[in-house]
Amino acid sequence: MNARDDLSDADVLTAARDSLSKLPISSPPDVEAIMASGSARRRSRLIPGVTGTLAGVAGAAIAVTALVPGGHQPGHPAARQPTIRLTAWTVDRLADGNISVTIRELKDPAGLQSTLRADGVPVSVTFASQPNRACRAYPGGTPGPPPHPGTALLRRVFPEPYRRLDALPSPPRSGGMSPTRLARQVHARPPIPRPSPNQTVIVIDPSALPGNAGVRLGTSPGGNAVLIPAVVYASTQCTGNVSP
Amino acid sequence: MSNERAEFADFFLASWEPCLRAVLAVVDSRQLAEDQVAEAFARAWASWRKVRRHPAPKAWVVRTALNAGASWWRQRNRELPLADHDLTAPAHFGNGLDDSLLTALRGLSPRQREVIALRIFLDLDTDSIARQLGIETGTVRMHMSRGLAALRRELTTANNHGG
Repeated sequence: MNARDDLSDADVLTAARDSLSKLPISSPPDVEAIMASGSARRRSRLIPGVTGTLAGVAGAAIAVTALVPGGHQPGHPAARQPTIRLTAWTVDRLADGNISVTIRELKDPAGLQSTLRADGVPVSVTFASQPNRACRAYPGGTPGPPPHPGTALLRRVFPEPYRRLDALPSPPRSGGMSPTRLARQVHARPPIPRPSPNQTVIVIDPSALPGNAGVRLGTSPGGNAVLIPAVVYASTQCTGNVSP
Repeated sequence: MSNERAEFADFFLASWEPCLRAVLAVVDSRQLAEDQVAEAFARAWASWRKVRRHPAPKAWVVRTALNAGASWWRQRNRELPLADHDLTAPAHFGNGLDDSLLTALRGLSPRQREVIALRIFLDLDTDSIARQLGIETGTVRMHMSRGLAALRRELTTANNHGG
């Protein structure tokens, strides 16, 4: 007799549950901290640019769910030119030499890529669900798990959003931050560049890139419209022939 | 408002463990699972008036937890293997059956794990799982059947080796 036949689905499920139930887990965090974070999230809807408080921030994933394809023509504004609003995206060179990318619609990644490369940023831009597979992550160049998603390299290369993300509260297990304190801390920082609920701003400091590194701007798979900036190894196939 | 707080606190305390275990069945990293579940409960509180009327609030939390971090995490693990934050190693109990079963569970597809986790920790039936995941009941049955078949093979092997 085949022993496999003796095991019903219920038996297998019970065995799986028993095994998983033995995995050690920590005790639940303080419910007051959870509620404080939830309240901060509720309040943050009123604070432009603050899109999450805990794991939503974890991957430096900037929610751009409002960036759905629309009827506007994608913009190709030359850097150093006055910004034309209501385009899909704009690229500006800031006074400190950094490059500011404002994205309103996930359209024309190739145009954004060529604009950034023309401005000296070795970059791969993919808004589709299939990222450029020629790109290889640079050590320390991808977001880590919460509560500290931003590595030192990411913070240098992308002053935004990491400066803004750093202003967000810690996970609840280490104590939550009151919504009032959160608002005060966010507003205490210079408000440039300032994203709005329907746009995302990423500031790139090309001088902070290691010599053999470039930038990747990509969205998460599955059409979740989550923009993830990362540092990758520069290569012709990934970031083009651009010297940072 | 205080009633709402008390209601949410009761829900949180009663649901934390099953929700975390359900997420842990899908997510390999315990730390990540805990953070995602905490985030999901924070979101539940932020939308408590909606979540409290949800037919399966615990399932809402689990789905929210998995959605909260799975997208970028999956992308990172699939395409950015050089990230400097490693997944935690799976727990070992020194028990052959548990270790082999967990290994087999980790070998299932995320969807298969998700379906099984919703069944065993949230006690959802096939129709409810289908509604929560937004897939057909037949698809749920397929994932469940294939997942259980893989686990059954592992259990059978372990039992045979155990004499």
